[in-house]
Amino acid sequence: MSVRQALLALLEEGPRYGYQLRAQFEQRTGATWPLNVGQVYTTLTRLERDGLVEGAGDDGAGHVVYRITEAGSDEVATWFTTPVERAQPPRDELAIKLALAVTVPGVDVGTVIQQQRTATMSALQDYTRLKRRAADGQSREDLAWTLVLDSLVFGAEAEIRWLDHCEARLRRAQLERPEAAPATPAAVEREASR
Amino acid sequence: MTAVLQLREVTRVHGAGETEVHALRSVSFAAHPGELVAVMGPSGSGKSTLLTLAGGLDTPTAGTVTVEGQDLAALGAAGRARARRTSIGFVFQDFNLIPALTAVENVALPLELDGVRSRTARATARRALEEVGIADLADRFPDHMSGGQQQRVAIARAVVGDRRLILADEPTGALDSETGESILRLLRARCDAGAAGVLVTHEARHAAWADRVVFLRDGVVVDETGADRADALLDAGATQ
Amino acid sequence: MSGLTSWRLALRLAGRDALRHRGRSVLVLVMIALPVLAVTAADVIIRTQDVSSVEGLDRRLGSADAQLEVPAGGAPVLQAFDPLDGNTSTGGADRVPTAQQLADALGGARLVEQREGDLLVRTEDGVTYAAGTEVDLRDPMTDGLFELASGRWPAVDDEAVVNQAMLDRGYAVGDRLDLVVDGAPSPVIVGVAESTASRGYPLAAGRLGSLGIEVSRAAWGMGPAYLAAGGPVSWETVQELNALGATVLSRAVLTDPPPDSEIPDEIRGWSGGTDDAMIAVIVLVVAMALLEVVLLAGPAFAVTARRQSRTLALMAASGGTPAQSRRVVVGGGVVLGVVAAVSGVLLGIAVGWLLVPVVQHWSSERFGPFDVPWPHLVGIMLFGLVSAVLAAVVPAWIASRQDVVAVLAGRRADRRPSLRSPLLGVGLLGAGIAGSAYGATSASSGEFTIAASAVVAVLGMILLVPVVVVALARLAGRLPLSPRYATRDAARHRTRTVPAVAAVAATVAGVVALGIGVTSDEAENRGTYQAMLPMGDGAVTAPGLTDEQWSRLQDTVAGKLPGADLTPIVGVPESSPIADPEARSYYVEAHLPGKRDGEPLLDGWGSSYGSSILAGDRLPSIVRGISLGDRDRADAALATGRAVIFTDHPVDAGEVVLRASWWTPGDGDELPPVTVPAAFVSYTGTDRVATMVLPHDVLRQLDVPTARVGLAVGGVGISAESERAVADAARSVTSDAGFYVERGYQMPDETMIAQLVLAGLGGVLMLGGTLTATFLALSDARPDLATLASVGASPRRRRSIAASYALVIGFVGATLGALVGFIPGIAVSYPLTRGYAEVRAHYLDIPWLMILGLVVALPLLTAAIVGLCARSRLPLVTRVD
Repeated sequence: MSVRQALLALLEEGPRYGYQLRAQFEQRTGATWPLNVGQVYTTLTRLERDGLVEGAGDDGAGHVVYRITEAGSDEVATWFTTPVERAQPPRDELAIKLALAVTVPGVDVGTVIQQQRTATMSALQDYTRLKRRAADGQSREDLAWTLVLDSLVFGAEAEIRWLDHCEARLRRAQLERPEAAPATPAAVEREASR
Repeated sequence: MTAVLQLREVTRVHGAGETEVHALRSVSFAAHPGELVAVMGPSGSGKSTLLTLAGGLDTPTAGTVTVEGQDLAALGAAGRARARRTSIGFVFQDFNLIPALTAVENVALPLELDGVRSRTARATARRALEEVGIADLADRFPDHMSGGQQQRVAIARAVVGDRRLILADEPTGALDSETGESILRLLRARCDAGAAGVLVTHEARHAAWADRVVFLRDGVVVDETGADRADALLDAGATQ
Repeated sequence: MSGLTSWRLALRLAGRDALRHRGRSVLVLVMIALPVLAVTAADVIIRTQDVSSVEGLDRRLGSADAQLEVPAGGAPVLQAFDPLDGNTSTGGADRVPTAQQLADALGGARLVEQREGDLLVRTEDGVTYAAGTEVDLRDPMTDGLFELASGRWPAVDDEAVVNQAMLDRGYAVGDRLDLVVDGAPSPVIVGVAESTASRGYPLAAGRLGSLGIEVSRAAWGMGPAYLAAGGPVSWETVQELNALGATVLSRAVLTDPPPDSEIPDEIRGWSGGTDDAMIAVIVLVVAMALLEVVLLAGPAFAVTARRQSRTLALMAASGGTPAQSRRVVVGGGVVLGVVAAVSGVLLGIAVGWLLVPVVQHWSSERFGPFDVPWPHLVGIMLFGLVSAVLAAVVPAWIASRQDVVAVLAGRRADRRPSLRSPLLGVGLLGAGIAGSAYGATSASSGEFTIAASAVVAVLGMILLVPVVVVALARLAGRLPLSPRYATRDAARHRTRTVPAVAAVAATVAGVVALGIGVTSDEAENRGTYQAMLPMGDGAVTAPGLTDEQWSRLQDTVAGKLPGADLTPIVGVPESSPIADPEARSYYVEAHLPGKRDGEPLLDGWGSSYGSSILAGDRLPSIVRGISLGDRDRADAALATGRAVIFTDHPVDAGEVVLRASWWTPGDGDELPPVTVPAAFVSYTGTDRVATMVLPHDVLRQLDVPTARVGLAVGGVGISAESERAVADAARSVTSDAGFYVERGYQMPDETMIAQLVLAGLGGVLMLGGTLTATFLALSDARPDLATLASVGASPRRRRSIAASYALVIGFVGATLGALVGFIPGIAVSYPLTRGYAEVRAHYLDIPWLMILGLVVALPLLTAAIVGLCARSRLPLVTRVD
């Protein structure tokens, strides 16, 4: 979660204090990743220590205002022009779950897959519903919000595609070694109807 | 609200003996007005068979298919054709339009086939084209339209004359994602306006536009999502 | 891939494709095999009928080595290898070789004399002519001249054999043959034999002298004939015999002829050389037939090309050469062409074999042995193959030129029509019009110019068809669904539509052009028809009757037509009565004083009423072709004893010189000329009834007798039945009598038949072309029909679409064809109806009914048939999951 660069990017627009920064961030990203104010201030302190922001005094209401430095601007520019690295993917709970389910005997992997798919599909439906409502707005902020939504949508879709693929892979393995691979519900039904 | 489309324990078997293929096994399915139902499944799961049965292009081996309260099998071929002219609208992945007819003529097709006078039919067709946003393409031939525009015309034809049931078979298959999404928006809008829609697709993103997503595997419904799952179950239970 | 391998592959692919699409393959096979079959059968029948010199040898020679004839002209004679092909005599009539001289020249061969002549035979109905042959039929040399059907050959001079035709006239074996002429023998019929050369004409044969045939009648100029046996007679020997004065038909010379240079120069030009006109006609017919086959079979190949177009496009996209892809489609043409050509020829031979007896029945000649002209058949097979390959090549060429991108993108249509072809088409059409106009006005052989221009015009029209089809599609917006769809779809798939429309149009153009020609010709016949008698009147004619026979005839006719006015036609007897061959025949010539050798007054002579010199004090009613004013003048002239002379140009004179002459079979003389006052009357008829009418006084002056030569019948209406009854009654007196009733111009059956055949042919070809194209169009349109089904079209919609396709093709084709057909049709009416040089005339009659039928009724009928035959099941969508 690159909160650092996000805060820097927001400060690029103008000096702000902590609460403002949090509000802006949540508005832009649709509160998808809620920020803790304490998290914000800790990050700001580190940024100041690294010379990327500097204090800009009080705004008169007791808020400490921060301003971006030249080094910070450079950092923002670099961030925007550098693609996100995928070197160390975050731990995917679902992939771990499935990997284990396949090898642990007595687990109906097919059902696991189906249940996950249904759940992910429901989530996808929710995102899509949100997208429908957001489609009406015209401001740049709304556009930003849709992009974030889309990332969730595509992510969920990718997951479902992966689940489809796993299922097909499992069925093929089952056909090749019927005794070894675990059963899927359809296979069971076919057996029953013969 | 009574379902526009109701499949009860529908089975469809192709071939006989050793080469028998069970495309659908005792499937029960319903689509209500204002509802868009998505049907997903791998190839061979029977989703296209479900659609052709729903539209009266095929008859089930067992079970009943009811559209707007009428049993399609009891109607006979002529009656089913009439249902397709007046109540049911089809959208396919490709070869939707007749290339020898202009857009407005394509949209007016079901009306003209039903005996509506040419002028009235064309006027209604133009209105439908306006609704889908391509009124300016009315006199163009499909050859001179992009894939997305063609699908829009197909949707216009599927909804012209206030049809209550729209059956769409992978309508976005040949389109890029942006165009595909606009097609789905259209479908969604029609369903919001009161029609019942059945959308067969393998793209989860597109299926997500539906109110309910039904998963088919080997001719059987294995699961379904949806906001009103309870309604669906009640429906199925009520008609047993 | 080497050339041969890729061809083998292409042929194998083509063969497999043909088997897979059986319906389409059968259609193409039929289209190509049918013309091949028809031409083969016709050729076989014609060749069988045509008894060549070699085949006919036995009929003329029997078993002899040679036949010698001595023409009256005398030695020396010149002849072609077969004297019938041409012979002439260049000497005087004096040196007639004897039999001994001829035998010596042949090196001591045995000669058998043979005489042929005409016989007069009394029959049930009266008297008839028959053919007579006198030769010793028991001599082995005559084996093969006749076939004995029953009984035996004559053994003595009092016996004869006759053929079935003679028996039909009332004779039976055992009867005596009554040969009418006084002093003629009457042999007993002992057998029935048929001539190997002809049938249907009564015939009698016997030994020398049994039939009374005279040799060397000076008038006819034929000497004796001999059959010779004594070894082969060479060409040198023939020439020696020619020097003696005899023509020779030598078996050896005909079976192994010397080089053509041996034929004497005078004879050379006579024998049937190649007939330029015939060749031109054959070339034209072959060209048109080829065009028709290509146009009809083309659409089938076009669909193959379309089906493979995706493959071809992929090949092109991955670097395959167009040549390789074309080979596959051409291979289809080769495969189907070979099968069609071979099967067409074999079936044609079989059909010809079956039909020979049928055609024989209608012909009077005896056909030869069953003759299969193998060299011709090879040519015909090649024709079938070439047309199949052409029909495949053209669509293949079009397919390989198509837009690769469009095909891969799945757009199912042809490219936009280019401008080049229609401009060329307009040019060709203009050239055709100009050529036709030139041919119409040219003095001679205009027909061939017009025919060639017609082909050019049709080709031009074919190039214009795409433009027309596309234009029609643009206008189709207002039509109901099925015709609108059919029209636009036809325009989108021009590769398939244009050949079908062109085939229909070419057919209709030919039919219309020929139809206009035929009807205009008919109009000319109608217009130039000269009534021979006053309308409704009749005339009985009978050559060679005595006065007593005429009286009997008149009574018989009076019996059949009570109340009729019967007026004997009196004239100068130009031939002797059959019953009295020694009686004198007379002739009277007329010329202006002092102009004996000048221009004849009336060009041509000969009359249908027994005499061209009529006698009377009034103009006989049978003389037509004279204006009313002239009739009065002629009547007045005859009443005052002046002669009336008919002329074909205006003559201003008051007197005429008449010269009479008479003759009998052995004698003749000229009588002294007489100059008499005369009236000259212009005769404008085309039938010659008479050259002059002479008052009885003038005839007495000339010392020329008169006799009854005919009987005019008038005063009552004569129904067809009465006509038949009177004719039969007349024939009972003499078998050569005839009864003619003027009923005005009657269209001959042949014209009616010709028009019907034309219309029928047009209809069949139109139906064929339309069916092909519709069948292919429907299979092309399956996706659209499936879409229609999904939108809720009733299954009967397929029928109405099929009928609409047929209507579009038939209607557009017929209209274009009719329009283009007018050009050569109107043009050809000029040379056809021109008439004689002085009589500049033009008749133009357009068979509107036939044209309307072709353009309107026939397409509608075709559409109805197609609509009824089409299946009414729409393909339902089956999407594979």
